[in-house]
Amino acid sequence: MAEKTNEKILSVKDLNVSYKTLHVLFDVYLEVEPGEAVVVVGRNGAGKTTMFRTIAGFLNQDRGSIIFKGEDIGNLPAYEVAIRGLKYIQQDKHVFADLTVRENLELGSYATKDYDWDPVFDHFPPLKTIMDRKGGNLSGGERQMLLMAQSLLGRPELVLMDEPTEGLAPHVINDLKDIFKRISKETTLAIIEQNLPLTAEVADRVYAMKEGKIIAEIADNQDIKELKFEAYL
Amino acid sequence: MDKLFRYVRGPVILVILIVIARFIFPNKMTFFFEISVYAIYVMANDILYGYMGMVSFGQPFYLGVGAYTAALYLAYVGHSPLVAIGLAILMGIVTGALLGPALIRLRGDYYALINAATCAMGLFLVETVMLPITRGDDGLWYRSRMHETPLLDLTHPNDVFWFTMIILAIILILYTWLDRSTMGASLRAIKINERKMKFLGYDTFKIRWIGYTMMCILAALAGSLYAINYGFVNPSLSEPGRAAEVLVATLLGGAGSVYGPFFGTAVFLGAKDLVSTFITRWELAVGILTIFVCFKFSGGVWGTIQALGAKIKVKREKVPTDR
Repeated sequence: MAEKTNEKILSVKDLNVSYKTLHVLFDVYLEVEPGEAVVVVGRNGAGKTTMFRTIAGFLNQDRGSIIFKGEDIGNLPAYEVAIRGLKYIQQDKHVFADLTVRENLELGSYATKDYDWDPVFDHFPPLKTIMDRKGGNLSGGERQMLLMAQSLLGRPELVLMDEPTEGLAPHVINDLKDIFKRISKETTLAIIEQNLPLTAEVADRVYAMKEGKIIAEIADNQDIKELKFEAYL
Repeated sequence: MDKLFRYVRGPVILVILIVIARFIFPNKMTFFFEISVYAIYVMANDILYGYMGMVSFGQPFYLGVGAYTAALYLAYVGHSPLVAIGLAILMGIVTGALLGPALIRLRGDYYALINAATCAMGLFLVETVMLPITRGDDGLWYRSRMHETPLLDLTHPNDVFWFTMIILAIILILYTWLDRSTMGASLRAIKINERKMKFLGYDTFKIRWIGYTMMCILAALAGSLYAINYGFVNPSLSEPGRAAEVLVATLLGGAGSVYGPFFGTAVFLGAKDLVSTFITRWELAVGILTIFVCFKFSGGVWGTIQALGAKIKVKREKVPTDR
């Protein structure tokens, strides 16, 4: 079980990122402590996904630092970041459509050398019943479960999730909420989320982003429960 | 043991069927040899195109690498066909190791075209630059220099046929293993979503490099088998204009499947053989056939057979209900 300590598992400082000549992130900071669930909120185009993709090693930074478990991962390629225990689940919910659920999980296992699927099935029991179904034939909720299951293989220390509930039915979101709570007991989570009630229930800390900057950090539990971060959106 | 049986069963049945066909049509042995070797060549292309989604217009180059390695060895250096095949495989590995890092950085159209350019350069090399040793368009003859080999005498076409059957069975078993292994899933996953593979912790460049090298090895092996069987090579084997043929055979059979390359080759060479007895320009008929298959049977011949099999299985498994 991930225990909360004051030592940061992820520390992002003065992060600046550009798409060619377009500067999109300005001196962004973000701190995540082990065992907590951090949620980043903000309107479309605020730079949330850009920030996560840069942390995950898919985009290059102009300047700044990304320290994960005491190591600067700012210049590492995406696969090296993943190997170090920082997984990123993209917004698009793309699983490997032509591969079965089993093959999708095998790919997660092979990369991390973690072939123990029992903990994953404890979190996502429905996956057990659809092992031979192709990824392309899964519902949105099943795809999200598979993506999370894949990412949890290898027991990563931090999982970044980009809008995991986007486009899902309310009852599926409800199920996912419980899953997030269970997972956050074992691994640290950083989530981009537009669903404010869900954020209020799941988050230990909320960062609000606007126009490529972090404009607020709310760590008070009561403030989060009362959706105080809504004022920054 | 059960797993091993499942890998071996299909390839062995297929090879037995070819052998039966060879006895039913004794004067068609060369045709069955051609199908078997070309199927290995199509498998090489299928790793690139069917599994990794990389179209190449330069496949004859890789076939030529194997054929000319074997031919040059037999014409100038040694006499053993087995060593020639071994050297061709080695050259396939070297080609994959050296060219891979440069070529696989490119994607889509650029990858297809740089392969076409590589093929054109390869042709220029054997036709012009290396003319004194390859004898250019006249071709290189070396059958008389080939020595007998133990068990199966590879100087004799009949024994080359049996040797090819063994090689085909081994390659099909390995191909079945690849298809069902995590390596095969990795190759297919790169085709579907390379970015996601990176987020899972895979160095996708290395995986594509391995896939590319496997392609080089298989194509070189096919080339060396041609060289051994005919005791002769000429540059027409490596002409860039022939790149479309292997792509057509891959599509006809059904890309990204174990038996697709074989069935694609059988249909392609079968149609070519049949049509060319009636009209000179067989390409027209094969072209129409390809268009028809692409529109009506997107899974190719093997994909269609599989779909039909699945339908029959579902029908049989339906439990009759009382009315």
